Amino acid sequence: MKLRNLLKSSCFVLLCFFVLPALAQNKSITGKVTDSKDGSPLPGVSITVKGTSIGTNTDTNGAFTLSVPATASTLVVTYVGYNKQEIAITGAPLTIKLEANATALNEVIVVGVGYGTQRKKDVTGAVSNVASKDFNQGVVINPVSQIQGKVAGLVITQGGGDPNTSATIRLRGQTSISGNQSPLFVVDGIALDDPGQFQNIPPGDIDSYDILKDASATAIYGSRGANGVIIVNTKKGRAGKATVDYNGYAGIEKQSKYYDLLSTSEYKQAISTFSNAATFDKGGNTDWQKAVSRTAHTESNNVAISGGTNGFSYRASVNYQDQQGVILNSDKKQLGLRFNAEQKALDNKLDINVGISNVATTRKTIDYNIFEYIFNSPPTYPVKNADGSYYAFTDFAQANAVSHLERPYNQTYEYLTLINGSVDYSLLPSLKVGVTGSTSRNNVQTHSFYPVFDVENNVNSATDNNYNTNSYKGNIHINYNKSFNKHSVSATAVYEYNDFINSNFGANGQQYLVPENLDNNLGGGNALFNTINSYKEEYKIISFLGRVNYNYDGRFYVTASFRRDGSSKFGANHTWGNFPSVDVAFRLKRDLLNNVDWINDLKLRAGFGIVGNSDAIGPYSSIVLYGPTGKYYDKSNASFPYPNSYAPAQNANPDLRWEERHGKNIGIDFSLFNDRLSGDINYYSDNTKNLLYDYTVPTPPFIYSSIKANVGTLSNKGLEIALTGQAVRGENLNWTVSGQITFSKTRITNLSGTYAGYQLTATQIPLGYAQGRGLSSTPLTYLKPGYSPFEFYLPHYTGVDASGNQLFDGKTVAQYTAAGSSPPSYYIDPSPKFNYGVSNNFTYHSWSLSFFLRGVYGQKIFNNTLLDYETITRLPGNNVTKEALTNGVKDGPVQSDRWLEGASYLRLDNASLGYNFKNVKGFSNFRVYLAGNNLFVITKYRGIDPEVTVADNNQSYIDSSYGGSGYYPKTRSFIIGANITLK
Amino acid sequence: MKKNLLKAFLVLLMTATLLPACTKLDKNVYNQVIEPNFFKTPAQIAAALAPAYNPLTQFPANNVFQLNEVSSDEMIVPTRGNDWYDGGKWQALWTHAFRPDIDNVNGGWSDISNGITKCNFVLNLLNTLQTKPANSDQIAAEIKVLRAFYFFEFMDIYGNVPIVSDYNTDPAKVVTVPRKDVYAFIEGELTTNVPLLADKSDATYGHMNKWGGYMLLAKLYLNAQVYTGTAQWTKAADAADMVIKSGKYSLQPNFLDNFIVNNENSVENIFVVPFDNINIPNNSIEMYTLNYNNISTYNLTSQPYNGFCAPTAFYRSFTATDARTKMWAIGQQYSSAGAPLTDPATQLKVIFSPYVKELSNPADSFKFAGARSIKYAPQAGTAGNTSNDGVIFRLADAYMMKAEAEIRAGSPGDALTLVNAIRTRAGVPLWTSADLTMPNLLAERGREFAWEGWRRNDLIRFEVADGIKYFTGLRNPAKPQDADTHTFIFPVPSPQLISNPKLVQNPGYGQ
Repeated sequence: MKLRNLLKSSCFVLLCFFVLPALAQNKSITGKVTDSKDGSPLPGVSITVKGTSIGTNTDTNGAFTLSVPATASTLVVTYVGYNKQEIAITGAPLTIKLEANATALNEVIVVGVGYGTQRKKDVTGAVSNVASKDFNQGVVINPVSQIQGKVAGLVITQGGGDPNTSATIRLRGQTSISGNQSPLFVVDGIALDDPGQFQNIPPGDIDSYDILKDASATAIYGSRGANGVIIVNTKKGRAGKATVDYNGYAGIEKQSKYYDLLSTSEYKQAISTFSNAATFDKGGNTDWQKAVSRTAHTESNNVAISGGTNGFSYRASVNYQDQQGVILNSDKKQLGLRFNAEQKALDNKLDINVGISNVATTRKTIDYNIFEYIFNSPPTYPVKNADGSYYAFTDFAQANAVSHLERPYNQTYEYLTLINGSVDYSLLPSLKVGVTGSTSRNNVQTHSFYPVFDVENNVNSATDNNYNTNSYKGNIHINYNKSFNKHSVSATAVYEYNDFINSNFGANGQQYLVPENLDNNLGGGNALFNTINSYKEEYKIISFLGRVNYNYDGRFYVTASFRRDGSSKFGANHTWGNFPSVDVAFRLKRDLLNNVDWINDLKLRAGFGIVGNSDAIGPYSSIVLYGPTGKYYDKSNASFPYPNSYAPAQNANPDLRWEERHGKNIGIDFSLFNDRLSGDINYYSDNTKNLLYDYTVPTPPFIYSSIKANVGTLSNKGLEIALTGQAVRGENLNWTVSGQITFSKTRITNLSGTYAGYQLTATQIPLGYAQGRGLSSTPLTYLKPGYSPFEFYLPHYTGVDASGNQLFDGKTVAQYTAAGSSPPSYYIDPSPKFNYGVSNNFTYHSWSLSFFLRGVYGQKIFNNTLLDYETITRLPGNNVTKEALTNGVKDGPVQSDRWLEGASYLRLDNASLGYNFKNVKGFSNFRVYLAGNNLFVITKYRGIDPEVTVADNNQSYIDSSYGGSGYYPKTRSFIIGANITLK
Repeated sequence: MKKNLLKAFLVLLMTATLLPACTKLDKNVYNQVIEPNFFKTPAQIAAALAPAYNPLTQFPANNVFQLNEVSSDEMIVPTRGNDWYDGGKWQALWTHAFRPDIDNVNGGWSDISNGITKCNFVLNLLNTLQTKPANSDQIAAEIKVLRAFYFFEFMDIYGNVPIVSDYNTDPAKVVTVPRKDVYAFIEGELTTNVPLLADKSDATYGHMNKWGGYMLLAKLYLNAQVYTGTAQWTKAADAADMVIKSGKYSLQPNFLDNFIVNNENSVENIFVVPFDNINIPNNSIEMYTLNYNNISTYNLTSQPYNGFCAPTAFYRSFTATDARTKMWAIGQQYSSAGAPLTDPATQLKVIFSPYVKELSNPADSFKFAGARSIKYAPQAGTAGNTSNDGVIFRLADAYMMKAEAEIRAGSPGDALTLVNAIRTRAGVPLWTSADLTMPNLLAERGREFAWEGWRRNDLIRFEVADGIKYFTGLRNPAKPQDADTHTFIFPVPSPQLISNPKLVQNPGYGQ
């Protein structure tokens, strides 16, 4: 109700904005900004009229033109790394020389810290930020890949090249053993309901990321801060002449690597010893891996118009991306609109902000079973018959992969609408109050139709689903800012209300007479099989939070924050939780290090905080609910013989509470050698308590055999180092190197505890299982106290015996079985020792060259795909790898460390070469570039790519292509792009 | 300045007034229901009683069935190539190398205890209902007898198990109870409650009626020697006779009609688990046993898994003229149109051989080893989850139990008549009283109840009563003789020992 009114008034204000600009009278001024030291032009310098938000940026030649009100007298000139200047407006063209700032790198960067911003030099927690100029170049599947490998402590894994899968994101290691561990995304101050929604934010609209890493920094997000917080700032307009920007690229992608399967001739040769070899020759010559792959087209276009005047500024943008997948019939198309506006009024005391975005995404998704078919299908089978129809064949998990890609219809439409507005008013120069309101509506519609395949005997079926994930959020906030003598105090207090409502409607049917109708006539099949389903759920989070920052003379800092969160998910005993934090920091340059010339700035930090996570808990986990538990047969009721039975839906746990991460962080930020080398180092040691896990409990008396309970602890320790160096800083040539390295270690420390006085214990819980024929009930990874999550427990492969049977510590499985034992197994930690990334940027006159190397060291991946398919016994009916013919192993697949392959890698993630055309008439900026992604990867891993999903589910670190799991191949891409700004 | 202060004061006042109203964290429930709003109409009460039966749907084809069958001589799951190796669990069941970490061992425990806990829930609910249904005493008796069936399976498979009969039991007080005490508990529950049960009717189809109750009592007494060391043959015969003399059931003239897709009209079946392809899933025997290529024999919609089959000796115990032999799919397999099937992966003809000579064999031909069961007729248009109701008790078992108990009790009575009624229906030569030996009876039970989940129970009972190693002895292929008889019961599963440290592992098993 409150929200609706707010939105109405925001819209009204918005309308006014378009009328106001017409009223002003202006004069035009021009000028040029250069470096005071070498006289080189400075592009992108901010020029604003003092006391207003009217302004512009200099072009690539350092020149600017600005239309200012007739009354304007002073310009304010600011630029990152340079001292601010105020220049009187004389009427003549201005020549402005800027001096480089002493503590350049951190001085003027403003970073979001949650419910406010701070200058980077004043930040006391572990916070990293990445601006758009440092984003990864090239094709961007998921916007977060813009910063993949760039931030120490932030590990982003894009397992495969499917444009429709999201990346897994882990900030400072694994934080939970159930539930989502992705950081909280906050876009323009509004937290996204689901981190997965972030992949629907158009990458071209993003201006910068601020990554809150340690518990003291994320404590301001309280119960949602345990996984870290990524604050995303979208591009905003600024007052001045309207500018039009175009950013776009187009290019191609190809599958980066293939498994080494037998070719048709090799396969024929390999099966020639079988008496029935000839019967497998169906006249085909098919490389099934290549048959399903293609050269994919990709393009991205972003057009933005921005400008404003007299306290009004706006930016509107349109985005269109089309990204084909390299596997047939997979595709992602996205059309996005975004509008941001700000109006200042009443002597700049009133500040109104509005943001609206709508993104429509259309996805074509594929059946991952085809990744098994391509290994199973003999290369002697053709894709198509002579008449152009698909060659149909079937056997266990074997079918024509191409027809299974091209014939089914799988379309998903996603509509994400985010609307936010805020009104702030300065009651006093030091005191500001405001309200914020936002709504997020995410509508996902899936449409699918599965046709009849010849010889497979299946029936056709169609399914539609409609999911809504909506939220309504609002806050009331007060900000206080005061400096007296050398003391500065700022304080923020917020009341926040969040309401989340999720619902679904779905229907499906089968046996349709007219397959061409797809899913458009769902009721037209066999009515007996029509099913419908729906659900709806809701939960609320209410919060009170506050933060106080104090600093003495920019030398000594203290920050303290406190958040109290209440969530309707929890039982009466633990509805509310408290999340405090405190930080201290010293900047030593002006005291101890005053005389040390080579140190320009040095800050020591230490912080402590408590943050929470409640993602693993459903909205109603704490209470007894009755729901349908399957149908039953009532023979005496002819009209309704199969009613639903009702029973409790779960073991309710009224004691459920937040997982709590208690984090300690110490860090150092520095800038050395005349600011040529800067960076930061953080060490953290966190303990997560009250881990949520589904514990096995005895039935009876429990009604279900598992209960979600807060039991157990885990620890995260890590060291993060980030460095940026200006290797060459010359008149024409500049070379910047930056890099980061991340060490992190997660250990399950305890999995035992009590529920309502009852002892809950878990000593060794199987997590990941081997996939493959005859490999059911074969656990590979375990959760075990004292070990890393996903610890492998495997027999040790020692070779083969004379008849080709695999040996484990010298004996075959049959020998162990005969002796009533099984091969001894050993614990192996698959997690990486460290992750790293190094980027190099060169500029020479108008040329720019950058490349970014990214890697992981010490990781191991279980190559379940080769376990299944590098087996000679698969012949003649299924294809095998070349290695299977020569490795001397003659028996079937057995899980062992033979398949746990080293998966350290170094990847040339992206490289780009750009040229800036200067003085092009009509353009203030005209840059074209070539870029490539995944240009090479150095690894011993024998799968398609060592970057597999390693943290999203129980099958982490297991790379399999069986029964619906599969590795969508990584791609290599080349694009040509342009960044253009119209004058 | 003053104006500003006033404004600030007003804002603070407003905030302070609004806040208390904004701290409510109600739970709004939409598609489920909280307890006070439920169990009001008779239909809602019926829906609340049904969960006691739902766990039964796991019994006829899944864990409980597999433990009872693969450990016996009538079913084997050989490793074909690497298929069905599955961590060696099927081989372990066959060779009696039972381990507490085999997932079926835990699955069986979970399925059974799920039934017990749901019964306890329903009984507790009945007690707390504001307005009780008119026949609430009979409902309570029915649920108690059903629970006794779950306890019977629990005790039969795991021996020493906890008895929890109150929904509100403190979990910390759940302990292992010796098998004979579990027996006594079940006996008490049955003798008290079975007489209260409803008679046969459409309304009790799929429910525990009075005759299902007596069948259970007969089973309990028949195996009393195994459970307690003291035989109860006469009581077993009497309980079985209650069913026979009730006259409510008769032998289905055509044996296999008890197992057809629409077998709800069988005149012989007493206690069944209703299944329905659309509404009640879990009867998927057709998928476990048939070969991939049988998809076209029976017009299934996906490929069966080519697993369970009959050991050679067991298949050979059927004569060609026996009507019950029709339960086996053997020899060349055909498409529904009558074309002989060829396997695309091996290009071999799909010919089921009766020979299962090894427990594991990578040869392509071994994919077709062993006779497959089509006792429960495969259902066209399905991929598992068939509509054949799962049979737990049928009249033929009353005949056979009574006959066996009478003979063992030393007063054969009508035993020969009962057994010959079975043999007549099967179309095999009648027996004379000289034929009525224990080995013959066991073999007859094998043919009559093959793959109905009773074989392990039968073998152990005959071994205990007659001292012949039917269950623990050597078996082809590859099963050595068990070291001792600890394999009569399965181990307590590891996850259960972890979740309740008060449970005691059965003798002869590790953790």
